[in-house]
Amino acid sequence: MGSSSAVRELQRELETKADDLNKIQKDISKNHQVRKKYTIQLGENELVLKELDLLNEDANVYKLIGPVLVKQDLAEANANVRKRIDYISAELKRTDGTLQDLEEKQNSKKDAILKLQQRIQSLQAGKSKA
Amino acid sequence: MEEPVKGTVTSLSSLVPAEEAQKASRRVLDAIYERREQLDQLKSFVADNTNLVNLVQKLPEELHHDIMVPFGKAAFFPGRLIHTNEFLVLLGEGYYAERTSKQTVEFLKRRGKVLESQVESLKAVMQDLKAEASFFDATAAEAVEGVVEIREDYVEELSPEKEKVSIAGRFTALIVAAPISAASFVFCFLLEHLPISIFLVDVRALPLGAQSDSPSFAVADNMEAGSVDEEYTHILSIMDKLEKEEEETENANEHSEDEQDDSVFGQRSPDHEVKSSEISAPSLHSKAESMTREDTFKNFFQQDFSDRLDDLSYVRLDCAIDICRIKEIVTEKADIVKLSKWVLEINVGKDGISVLGGWIGIEDLPFHLWKEDIFRKIGE
Repeated sequence: MGSSSAVRELQRELETKADDLNKIQKDISKNHQVRKKYTIQLGENELVLKELDLLNEDANVYKLIGPVLVKQDLAEANANVRKRIDYISAELKRTDGTLQDLEEKQNSKKDAILKLQQRIQSLQAGKSKA
Repeated sequence: MEEPVKGTVTSLSSLVPAEEAQKASRRVLDAIYERREQLDQLKSFVADNTNLVNLVQKLPEELHHDIMVPFGKAAFFPGRLIHTNEFLVLLGEGYYAERTSKQTVEFLKRRGKVLESQVESLKAVMQDLKAEASFFDATAAEAVEGVVEIREDYVEELSPEKEKVSIAGRFTALIVAAPISAASFVFCFLLEHLPISIFLVDVRALPLGAQSDSPSFAVADNMEAGSVDEEYTHILSIMDKLEKEEEETENANEHSEDEQDDSVFGQRSPDHEVKSSEISAPSLHSKAESMTREDTFKNFFQQDFSDRLDDLSYVRLDCAIDICRIKEIVTEKADIVKLSKWVLEINVGKDGISVLGGWIGIEDLPFHLWKEDIFRKIGE
């Protein structure tokens, strides 16, 4: 009676905590994907930078902007690619940070859930004895 | 054996339910399937690349080529391909560069190399996954067959005589730990008869506070007989414990064993009849505690297996020595430390090498290795 309602309350708490955990896990997976994308882009940009370095000074470089191929200056292209690389690495670091936070939160939630489960079990054990 | 050694017998299937192992195996198979698809895609890229290289090399052979130019979705018209040595090469990220045929070929070759390296790494990952899958299958089979795990008390005995006899040509390998995940079982049941030079110390901090607050011990013995006998006997005269250990390993066969000293993971009293004879276990802990431990294990198994595997943190002891006997691992905070042979296939994919503070007592280290850098190497 008293103890069973306590058990039910604990179970409700457990559910809410489980939902939170699910949300956190979804965030984590989203973060992973974004991070993967950034990593790929970073790799591609570094490749482009390497190739641009191999070009002669007078080689023509074009950039595809929408449906238009626009002629670009080699120096300008170099600068742009470098800036993009910096931007992407900064973004990557940022997502790493958020990923770590999310993981910590996830762990703490897991602990809380486990503790709750234990309490429920002990209560149920106590109830069955009585 | 003078006196019967008490111990417990637990069926493997109670620790690693067969279905769990099979589920884990299936999961790994799915992962393998994914990787294989990626591998196929990469291989098609490589094929395209080679075709392109051939084409690019062939085009400048003529000043112009007469071709049929595609026009829309379903039409062609006759045309001519001119400027056959000028190529607009996509460097990536929307950047194009004008290059000649030769330069384009060089670029394509570089790109091909990158693709090859990706293919290689993917293949390596697939190898690991395959090894994992085969291991899970083996555990599932074992669990189904009813392999049992026997735990015996650690009985200290002194008999220097038996010691010397036991040295000659005997290898033992013991890995003890709380078998928290299926991954640890492969080590429990592997008979390792090789001079082990690399040990993996698997430290798992149990997330439950209710777990034992007494330190847990793991014992691993591995000796190589023969050439090192002299040093061995020399050290024997100095260290007493060795002899006791020797005796103990003789008792324990290839099953895992518990060391008694302070309490340990607790002997799980068999709740069910097991095939082998009943061995009553002196339960060092109260039953309640062992209950929670079982529940803990159940919880662990109910969680995602891949999570468990990711949680493994490996501390690598690189003993570049043939004899290395690691006696006691005492860690703070009641972490359970497991020593096992480092198998290349199992571990390449895992990250998370973390070091937890603790003391590792290494005995039987040949004297010529008592140098700081060796100890440091061992500690890392």
